[in-house]
Amino acid sequence: MITAHGLTKRYGDRTVVRDLDFTVRPGTVTGFLGPNGAGKSTTMRMLLGLDAPTQGRSTVNGRSYATHPAPLTQVGALLEARSVHPGRSAFNHLMALALTHGIPRRRVEEVIDLAGLTDAAHRRVKGFSLGMGQRLGIAAALLGDPATVILDEPVNGLDPEGVLWVRTLLTSLAAEGRTVLVSSHLMSEMALTADHLIVIGRGRLLADTTVAELIRSAGGASVRVVTPQPDDLRAHLTTPNVTITAARTTSPAPGPTPEAHELRIRGVDAVHIGHVAAAHGITLHELTPQTVSLEQAFMDLTQKAVDHRPQRPRRPTPTTGAAA
Amino acid sequence: MTTAHPTASARHRITPPRVLHAEWHKLRSLRSTWITITSAVVMVLGVGLAMGATYTSGGGDSDVDTVVLSLYGSMLAQIFLVVLGILMTAGEYATGMIRSSLTAVPTRLPVLWAKATVFAATAFTVMLTTSVVTFAAAQAFLHDTDQAASFTDPGVLRALVGNAGALTLLGLLALGLGALLRSVPGAIGAFIGGVMILPEILGMLPYDVVERAIMYFPTQAAGALGSATPIPGTISPGPALLALSLWAGVTLAAAALTLKRRDV
Repeated sequence: MITAHGLTKRYGDRTVVRDLDFTVRPGTVTGFLGPNGAGKSTTMRMLLGLDAPTQGRSTVNGRSYATHPAPLTQVGALLEARSVHPGRSAFNHLMALALTHGIPRRRVEEVIDLAGLTDAAHRRVKGFSLGMGQRLGIAAALLGDPATVILDEPVNGLDPEGVLWVRTLLTSLAAEGRTVLVSSHLMSEMALTADHLIVIGRGRLLADTTVAELIRSAGGASVRVVTPQPDDLRAHLTTPNVTITAARTTSPAPGPTPEAHELRIRGVDAVHIGHVAAAHGITLHELTPQTVSLEQAFMDLTQKAVDHRPQRPRRPTPTTGAAA
Repeated sequence: MTTAHPTASARHRITPPRVLHAEWHKLRSLRSTWITITSAVVMVLGVGLAMGATYTSGGGDSDVDTVVLSLYGSMLAQIFLVVLGILMTAGEYATGMIRSSLTAVPTRLPVLWAKATVFAATAFTVMLTTSVVTFAAAQAFLHDTDQAASFTDPGVLRALVGNAGALTLLGLLALGLGALLRSVPGAIGAFIGGVMILPEILGMLPYDVVERAIMYFPTQAAGALGSATPIPGTISPGPALLALSLWAGVTLAAAALTLKRRDV
């Protein structure tokens, strides 16, 4: 469990993190999302006591990180991958960290195997690829078998196999009941691993929500319909929560085919639209369920932060029934 | 992998001896440690042997203290120990290792104390052994000259121990500077400029009070510690040890304050 209360970090007159409040709960993977420079790393450093907050406070597993008598067994962290002396071997790096807590050599070997670094364990880190460096960082995070795991951009530099490994690892850590906080600037990556999302932009909290809720708030699912009879379809889809937007007029195909119109319909599913069209003899050229791209939802959210518009995500106002 | 359990947390906890053990592991698992230590030893031993082998009675060095003569190489060894001390602290900022170190030990200060202790123990043990061996080896050449001396002569043992202690304290001062400035080149520059060159420049000023003050500067105090017979224009070994300890102690205290207060 991680909590942040009014967490704020200022460097001179530049506010990097502004009044953040959030709770990260055990048993799920929480994505910490924001564009580059949003304040994710600074926030994570404050959680680990590396940076002191200007205001506010944070706790991990009930108390501030630095007051744990055995912090590595409470929180495992991957900060920047290169938090390692390049002249030391992976084994010696992990062993030095383990010794501070009296963690046995056996456990060091265990996490080396777990991270897939067995063959490279006694090589100097200097020669490691970016991906191997990430694996070493993750091995260090798991060293104390911690109840909470904080990983800053863990898939950076990993090959597809490594990315898959991280995803599986995160899911299994959460399934074991641990608190997992993972930062990323890639919405697509978070969509695959995270259940819960904390989105920040310019140091402000933009959303503290689930992946499903974020999609819904971004406009939800819609159906793309192409029909030569848009007005007929409109007339038969009159339930109040249905919104119909005219997308564009497609150029008529050669021959006698009438001009077709593309509509975006929200509030009813494709099955219902199909039934309505069939019942009223309306020709449909296309009937495609659409999901809002998470990437787009994320961009919409963070764009607002960049524009200094309202801090809380607003429900986008649907454009109702514009004439085709 | 097992789920975190409270018993693991009770068994594994940070203790000062464990942090010390970790810092010892960090020190010996780096190639640069072995290079700097070996270089320091080779400098003292090599120069000592050369001085002994080339010495002629009644030459220009006749009035030099025997221990000082045998351990001339300490001046060069000092550079290597200073670099080692700086690498132990500032080196961690250069590589990013400091983030790992302070995440493991978030109370921070035990890391600095452990580094200082491990460095002091290593440097003192190695330099004392080197000083004793070098003195004995030089005497193999010097025993039939006017520089003949033995361990039982007045001041000799004290000077040998003093030399090792002075090198250790100068290294600790550098280690503190490294932690304070968080930059390897910055700390080396500050040491060379502030500790080695500044007193030389100040010494040219025509004021007696400045001249007296300089005697308490780190390198001057170190010189007084490593001589069996009193060197003219230096303070006696007791005050020299006190002065040098204060220099190192104040620097380490400043480093501790910075470490506790500043973001990493």
